[in-house]
Amino acid sequence: MEEQTNDKKLTLVGRKFHALGLFLLRRPVGQEVALFIRAFMSLFNKSRSFKTDSRNIILQTFFTGVEIFPILFVVATLFGTVVIIEVITMMGKMGFGDVVGGLMVVVIIRELGPILTAFLIAGRSGSSLTTYIGGMVINSEVDALATMGVDPVRYLVMPGLIGGAIATFIMNIVFSTSAICAGFVMTKTAIAITGNAFNIQLTWDYLSTEILNAMSFTDFIFIIVKPIVFGCIITTNACYQAMNIPRDIRQVPKATGRSVIKSFFYIVCADVFLSLFYFIDYFNEISKII
Amino acid sequence: MYNEALRLEDIHLSYRGLVGTSISKPRPLGFFESGIQPGEQELISGANLVVQKGETICIGGGSGQGKSALLRLISGLARPNAGKMYIFGEYIPPERLTALNIAKRQVGLVFQNGALISNLRVRDNIALPLRYHKVGTAVEIEDKVRMAMDLMRVRDYADFFPHMLSVGMQKRVAIARSWAMSPQLLLMDEPTAGLDNYNRRNLLPLIDNMRTLFKTTIIIVTHDLMVAKELNCKITFLTHKQLTELRYFDEWLHSDTAISKELFRDLRTSG
Repeated sequence: MEEQTNDKKLTLVGRKFHALGLFLLRRPVGQEVALFIRAFMSLFNKSRSFKTDSRNIILQTFFTGVEIFPILFVVATLFGTVVIIEVITMMGKMGFGDVVGGLMVVVIIRELGPILTAFLIAGRSGSSLTTYIGGMVINSEVDALATMGVDPVRYLVMPGLIGGAIATFIMNIVFSTSAICAGFVMTKTAIAITGNAFNIQLTWDYLSTEILNAMSFTDFIFIIVKPIVFGCIITTNACYQAMNIPRDIRQVPKATGRSVIKSFFYIVCADVFLSLFYFIDYFNEISKII
Repeated sequence: MYNEALRLEDIHLSYRGLVGTSISKPRPLGFFESGIQPGEQELISGANLVVQKGETICIGGGSGQGKSALLRLISGLARPNAGKMYIFGEYIPPERLTALNIAKRQVGLVFQNGALISNLRVRDNIALPLRYHKVGTAVEIEDKVRMAMDLMRVRDYADFFPHMLSVGMQKRVAIARSWAMSPQLLLMDEPTAGLDNYNRRNLLPLIDNMRTLFKTTIIIVTHDLMVAKELNCKITFLTHKQLTELRYFDEWLHSDTAISKELFRDLRTSG
């Protein structure tokens, strides 16, 4: 009924635009983007208060970041060790000793570091955010917030979103640093234990100069951009899945699973999308490479 | 019209409007997709209600008739498929029918289970909406919270978490939280359900205080008809998906309608 009257008011272009808008908003991805925009914009609405907001965001950052640190450190160290050993032995054997730094940058800093960090955070903090908000939805606490005029998107989603993005950014730097530094120490220890297993002179000077030389300006930009994008994806997705739970307690574990799996999926998609930036560079110089 | 707190005209509500929270959904979706679809089962069809300012009314009816759904509808948590709603004489268009927009018009809702935020203490639970809306300075908010706690006699439990309180206490804290926002229209969902006789007897004077001291319009959904008698307010029943007219308890008791025969049978025989 309403749709018909609205249709009559619009021109043909307007109708198409309206249909496109509704088509996008009916998809989960469109709704998540809308939720993200609303959560981000709610940071600036008139009920803002620097003290409360910053406290909530810092609490969320601590929850997302600091509590995951031990497991993240261990994963990063082991991962870094494996990568350093593999790269150095394989490249050394094949005579590509000069690309060690480049490979380390590509594997640890550019690609797998941010993704593994995001996976760890999605598995721990994303799922706990979904359960937490989902439980509130089941107990109709979210409804109670709304009837008191407290915007749930602002009160629950916004601190998670900002805190999650900040924590993912910090944790990504921690991951890359500990993968390289602690990985180097572990590699040296492995060499010391096994005696003459690696017939190379691996020093910290060599490794750090190689890596720093291989880093380009875009790498520094992407160290900042990638984890923030991933953090936003994880928290928005987690909150979206939780907010959509019908009032049925059995839907909470389902939503949690969906939150983690979909976060993984969106993260990989976003990673490919962001990596297109590098690919375009490569494609321009493809004649030189081959 | 100016003396009315709430007016519902020909409200229709289907089961679809009740599922889940609509908070994560963008507003245009619900707006463009409302309207009755053919063959859809309706919970409420064609309900009319007028409540004057300062009046207290009870909504009765058997369970499963959609009493709580009606309160959710008034507070904006459920979206009607058709019909018009006026709050304090102001028409609310369908795209504005969200809980946040209705809460701006000083409408409060007390949930059946209290719905206190479980990680906040009683004190912070009551102060949460005040702090969010920046109602006053920190001292003023503290005073208001203390007053609300005194009114509902939960002052001794100010530093307790909701899970440490009994159900009746939680309900009283929930009422205090709603009252602290000084609502003009307060909706209560089963305030006496699950309470023993002692707590129930204590709660009713509190509700009575609120309406005489602060001139709050109160709508109570209850299956306990004695509440209406003790508060001396009009009752309407939700039967056959519609609301009946408003009448006092005694009028219902002695009338000859099918509802009073069905619902007042026990009360008639006992006395």
